[in-house]
Amino acid sequence: MRTTLLVALAISVAACGPTSPADAFRADPEAIQRGKSLFVGTCAGYCHTTVPSDRDAPYLFDRVWQHGGTDQEIFDTIADGVPGTTMIPFKGKLPQGDDDIWRLVAYITTAADD
Amino acid sequence: MRYPVPAATAVLLTLVGCEQATVEQGDSPPAEPPAETTAVEAAPAPDIHHWTNDRKIGRGDGPANNEHLLRAPLNPEQWLHYGGDYANHRHSPIDDITPGNAANLKVAWAFPTGTSEQFEVSPTVYDGIMYVTTSFNRIFALDAATGEIYWRYDHQQPEDLRLCCGYVNRGAAIAGDLVLMATLDAKLIAFNRLTGVVAWETTLADYAKGFSATSMPLIVKDMAIIGIAGGEFGVRGFFDAYDVATGELRWRHYTLPADGEPGTETWAGDSYKTGGAPAWTTGAYDPETDILYWTTGNPSPDWNGDLRAGDNLYSNSLLAVNPDNGERLWHFQFTPHDVWDYDGNTQIFLTDVQREGETVEAIVQANRNGYFYTLDRATGAFMSATQYVEQINWATIDDNGRPVVDPRANPVEEPDFRVCPGNLGGMNGAFSGALNPDLGLAYIPTIESCQYFQKGIVAFVEGQPFMGGLPIAVDVTNGADYGHLSAIDIHTGEVRWRYKDPEPMMAGALSTAGGVVFTGNRDGFALALDAATGELLWKFRMGGGVRSQPVAYRADGKTYVAIGSGNDRNIAGFAAGPVAIPEGGHLFVFSLPE
Repeated sequence: MRTTLLVALAISVAACGPTSPADAFRADPEAIQRGKSLFVGTCAGYCHTTVPSDRDAPYLFDRVWQHGGTDQEIFDTIADGVPGTTMIPFKGKLPQGDDDIWRLVAYITTAADD
Repeated sequence: MRYPVPAATAVLLTLVGCEQATVEQGDSPPAEPPAETTAVEAAPAPDIHHWTNDRKIGRGDGPANNEHLLRAPLNPEQWLHYGGDYANHRHSPIDDITPGNAANLKVAWAFPTGTSEQFEVSPTVYDGIMYVTTSFNRIFALDAATGEIYWRYDHQQPEDLRLCCGYVNRGAAIAGDLVLMATLDAKLIAFNRLTGVVAWETTLADYAKGFSATSMPLIVKDMAIIGIAGGEFGVRGFFDAYDVATGELRWRHYTLPADGEPGTETWAGDSYKTGGAPAWTTGAYDPETDILYWTTGNPSPDWNGDLRAGDNLYSNSLLAVNPDNGERLWHFQFTPHDVWDYDGNTQIFLTDVQREGETVEAIVQANRNGYFYTLDRATGAFMSATQYVEQINWATIDDNGRPVVDPRANPVEEPDFRVCPGNLGGMNGAFSGALNPDLGLAYIPTIESCQYFQKGIVAFVEGQPFMGGLPIAVDVTNGADYGHLSAIDIHTGEVRWRYKDPEPMMAGALSTAGGVVFTGNRDGFALALDAATGELLWKFRMGGGVRSQPVAYRADGKTYVAIGSGNDRNIAGFAAGPVAIPEGGHLFVFSLPE
């Protein structure tokens, strides 16, 4: 039985890819809402927009990723910034640290256009 | 970064098509001797960004001194200030273009900027020479009668500029033998007006902390007054006075209080430290009373006021200042505790108004919040506020000039209340109005584009946008936004007429003594209107949407009107316009046939 469970788990992980800290937040409506509020208050305004636009900062809900589209790559882009642009590192800058960055990742990926 | 012209590397070139126009190229490798090679084998062209002039140009009018600056409204051969004169009327004494002949205007010459983005310049004209700044801080000196280029400088700046609203510049000031341009990386550069050689350059602030500069300096006495932008980055706003001759800082007026100073009590906690209140437009000066007037923009963060409870002085205010030391004499705040981005820095007009049979020295302003204010110019006392936009619901104004806010207009996380005007106005400080003192009318280009206001969680990070939310341009989405240029009776605040346009009107205005008002629209037309009635007299399709400030002048005995077009796609997200028209600045200069 134990062997069967391990095999099943291995197959499941292989099928779904590695887990991400954003997974738990994606399953939590309150976390998604906070991610949205962080996006609206900190990332949007005159930079990233909630609808497609021609502004310098890219629109993030079209599934086109300039710096990688995995959870970890999106996290790293937010945390480390993009050199030579106004996108500075946000690591340590948000009220709840890395968790808030993961909430942003969860919101951005959840709200992506179909 | 500095880009002087090193003598050792100076190279003389001759511009093709510019007869005997000798230009000096600086900061680039020495030219190679002509090579007998094919184009494929030729070395790449050097990165040229500064062309100076060493021939005699102009009419020999000499330095532009204070007498010139004071008499600016009376001399039709000059356009010396952003506002045309110290009172900001943008009213030219030129009277030979009239409602009867404006339809005959033709293109006299045109000039490309070679840059995209918004072309917001108010050209400066003196000694037969026109100075034109562009997006990305290019500056050109041109023959005002023919458009021939004399010198050019392209400011080299970082890629990570901190800009809320595009790569704009609204013009160069002139003082003595210098012209002065503020830059997007927060510098002030003075050029010799005849040669284009840099005389001095100074840094206003560290651009990486969110500062930039876009407006035309105001020359007062021997000082250049220039304000800073950065209200979307949580900067501490200020405006400065620099010695015109040397570039030395004379004084700085911070628009936010420091620890222990009066005004901190109007901010929760220490939120005044990141409170914005930029000073990104050009002020006015009353030489009779020797008072400098400057205005300020929004508090930071823009759309979430939860952490900055209070009136947030001195954001969205008119400040009266002693020009000799920068000390504040009084203030009037238009929109306390702003959570809509209603910068209080649209153009102020110094003018006399009639009230109850008395003449009052006043300041009038079509504020971005939708109300046309009249204040006593000596004391700042509130006199009246009237609605000049067609749609307004965020607040009424009480007898003391204080808004009574409709709580439904405050930003929330899931907004569903359409707030008028939207965050751009009404009028906006990025374009000018005009005032005809003979008719008693102020001409105000206006945006009608209401919005939802959404707030969110915000954290201050130096050098990063600090906005706390966003405007949702619901009227743009629904195709419901539009614009008009409205003529407002300066004595009563009532609207006399409106010229309506399908798109928000976001170009500057020019008034002329001949009774014609010039402006432009987002569809790329230059427009001439009857100053008394608003009747459309003439229009000309220049191409890109108009965001510039028209000026009029005479050169070689002929009258000219200059208007720039350029279009910009960025702004269309907030105020709709034809985004299919390619961007690209182009200055058009019109005149009447002989």
